[in-house]
Amino acid sequence: MKTIKKFTHIDAKTVDEAASILRAGNASVLSGGTDLLGTMRFEVLPDYPEVVVNLKSIPDLEYIKEDASMLRIGALTRLEDIAKDETVKTRYTALAEAAHRTATPHIREMGTIAGNICQLTRCWYFRLPDNRFNCVRKGGRQCYAVMGDNRYHSIFGAVKSCFAVNPSDTAPSLVALNARIKTNKRLIEAGNFWDMAVPGSTVLGADEIVTEIQVPKPAAGSRSAFIKFAIRKSIDFPIVNCAASVLNGNARICLNAVYNKPYRATAAEESIKGKTINEESADAAGAAAVESARALPGDRNKWKIQIAKTMVKRALLACS
Amino acid sequence: MSEEKKSENINKKGTGNVSRRTFLKDAGFVVGAPAIGTIAASSGQASAQDRAAETQSEDGSTVSRIHTEAATTIELTVNGDKYRFTVEPNWSLRQLIRDEIGLTSPKDWCGGLGACGSCTVIMNGRPVLSCLTLACECDGANIETAEGIAKAGHPIIQAYIDNNAFQCGYCTPGFVCTSKALLDRNNNPTEADARDALGGNLCRCATYQQHPPAVLQAARELKKT
Repeated sequence: MKTIKKFTHIDAKTVDEAASILRAGNASVLSGGTDLLGTMRFEVLPDYPEVVVNLKSIPDLEYIKEDASMLRIGALTRLEDIAKDETVKTRYTALAEAAHRTATPHIREMGTIAGNICQLTRCWYFRLPDNRFNCVRKGGRQCYAVMGDNRYHSIFGAVKSCFAVNPSDTAPSLVALNARIKTNKRLIEAGNFWDMAVPGSTVLGADEIVTEIQVPKPAAGSRSAFIKFAIRKSIDFPIVNCAASVLNGNARICLNAVYNKPYRATAAEESIKGKTINEESADAAGAAAVESARALPGDRNKWKIQIAKTMVKRALLACS
Repeated sequence: MSEEKKSENINKKGTGNVSRRTFLKDAGFVVGAPAIGTIAASSGQASAQDRAAETQSEDGSTVSRIHTEAATTIELTVNGDKYRFTVEPNWSLRQLIRDEIGLTSPKDWCGGLGACGSCTVIMNGRPVLSCLTLACECDGANIETAEGIAKAGHPIIQAYIDNNAFQCGYCTPGFVCTSKALLDRNNNPTEADARDALGGNLCRCATYQQHPPAVLQAARELKKT
């Protein structure tokens, strides 16, 4: 096994302290570590962090609480705890199911919700050990997936030339449930939280740290669901996943792993609006969702369009 | 040299057997930096001096613990035995368990990606991947490995044997730890529970079908006691 290169490790006591270390430069935060330690071990990125700031030593960041208006989840809450929580399972079904379908049981026991939404892309050019492809996502000049093997890449085009997709399972659920992400500086709507960054996938500033996820309490009668397609059901990252929430003929539908960031399928939302969800209307919504989808030259990722369509359909049917 | 060396070793340890690792180490096959961690007191009795030093640094200090290359001291319980180690920040828990404690059950298959589950150990009741856990963050942790589970006579071991739930056996310690963690939490698992819990463990021999019956058998055995 490749050993991890040397770094300095700091157990932060408060979020402010962790942020101040990040401000000092060349530092990474560590919560579950399942993504960060892998990138460090294989030296995926051009920069290797000099300092790793452990957030697990900060007290009171691991909780699931529901009050009259919303569900609050601490940033360091493990995915397995979210997946097993009865409150989340009953009223925030899409989130519980997404947490349950993330990675493997072991990674869910270690990985946190904040880490899951902030994870880096799984693009295999980006992830190749020793930074062998210095792509746009790393500050380079081109996206190697365009001419290369892009079977898992974006079907809705590039963002700043990057065709990589966001691999998070919980992200589309948070968008569908209209969640907000609280950081040490601001409150961000889930719909605006993700964006292409070098090398990240969020709009977070260099010294910004997620502290809480807030999900508004769904109105009575609303339903939500999460559907995922992956090669190996119990292990893999999604090929396509989809979360939907439905209330009185209005739906919020979000696909992921199809675009640089979670993709809100507004065309599908329009299509299903006011209709009863059945086989026919859900199928039409699926078709609407992928109307603007385009495979990359060579059609290697064309199969994902059909899958995305079916995911939307199944997610809606699961809400009916 | 081997025969002579082996017997020396046995006499020294007085255990009647010698592990391959100990043998290789003693025979001088392991090269590279010497381990800086040592088992200070397997009974958990740290010297008074050590304790004083710890109290000074931890009590009333407003600065966070900074683990530079110069390493940090952690105390942890592995299979019921207490250990104290000086570890470097970049050491994984797997490295500590294998190279320092000498328990070789946490395997390395995927190379430290967290993709195979063969390095699974139980840490504070959770089945975790020891390759993606930093040793310096394990201060105060209670860890169980497959060796400890076997030593304690847990019925999962016999259940694995009875159900032929392995061929080459490389992935088995990981499966055993994951199964035991499931049984600790859920004394009445269904087959679906077992499949779900073991979903992160890979077996290249494809013995997957035999694992859920083994877990269910162990659950039945546990209920009897």
